Amino acid sequence: MALRSQLLKGVLDACVMAVVEEEAVYGYELSQKLQKIGLPDISDGTIYPVLLRLQKNGFIRGEMRPSASGPNRKYYFLTDSGRDELRKIAGEWEEIAMPVSKLLKRSDEA
Amino acid sequence: MRTAASLIAENNEKREMLNNENLALYEEFLLYIRTDLRVAEQAGEEVLMDLLDHLLEAQEEGRTGSNLFGDNPQEYADEVIEALPREKKRNAAVFIFSQLLSLAGWFSIAYGAVYILLSFFTEVDTAISLGNILILLTTGAFVAFFAVWLIFKMLRSSLFRPKKSQTMEYVKAGLLGATAFGIIMLLAWLIPEFGPVIRLNWWVYVLIGLALMGAAKVIERVK
Repeated sequence: MALRSQLLKGVLDACVMAVVEEEAVYGYELSQKLQKIGLPDISDGTIYPVLLRLQKNGFIRGEMRPSASGPNRKYYFLTDSGRDELRKIAGEWEEIAMPVSKLLKRSDEA
Repeated sequence: MRTAASLIAENNEKREMLNNENLALYEEFLLYIRTDLRVAEQAGEEVLMDLLDHLLEAQEEGRTGSNLFGDNPQEYADEVIEALPREKKRNAAVFIFSQLLSLAGWFSIAYGAVYILLSFFTEVDTAISLGNILILLTTGAFVAFFAVWLIFKMLRSSLFRPKKSQTMEYVKAGLLGATAFGIIMLLAWLIPEFGPVIRLNWWVYVLIGLALMGAAKVIERVK
């Protein structure tokens, strides 16, 4: 659980929302997907406080559904305000990602 | 919508499928969440169920549960609690009020039972003064809340730590119970009779007690 800082929390929020937007998932699925994407150093549990926070803010909602493997699971869906929020964060991210990584790479070479 | 009660029942059932190592980890976490009285019960039970499902699925795939709670389970639990919604004041008030009613109900039933038992052996004076009863009930309520608060505190401070001898814990809890009971007995003995005196048959106390407990159950439903 190295993802502690505010910045990384925000990024993780966006990643979770992006996965949920693509397809409704339940907790275990979500953690597997994030690990597969290659996010570093995320322990399985990291997502649950994130899911709670996003629910509290009304960006996602949970609904009981039968899962592929059988038993009922709480699936998470993106809400309309979650979609807006995700667009907003994605836009901000695009604005800073390129220049920042360019800048950091330059100081790397120096 | 799954109610907190049905989630708890489901949790009890599913928990048995955990292996010993995971069960030990999970139960500490569960107690830590449930004994935090700020947490909204419904939301707390929902996340407990999510985590239980997660553990079970990981267990099936042969992965260890310590993956879920990380290197510092208490810190993780605090993080989850931080993200959980708070219990509404109204729900907490309803809960406390219904607990008070059922406490008074037990008290009344016990009173009636003691009268009927004693009357087999001796002549019993069923007169009680309302002033005394009110003071005793009020103190009883305060003592009970303080005891619950203290026991939760003791319990929480023992979680996520290597287990010390259980004997000390039992002794502490026993002393606590004895002290609480002692305070009430002492007051019953010290407080002079005052207030209007009533005389009721033993079965009236039992009926009043049952009515109070029934009312407590009904009130808890409105949460």
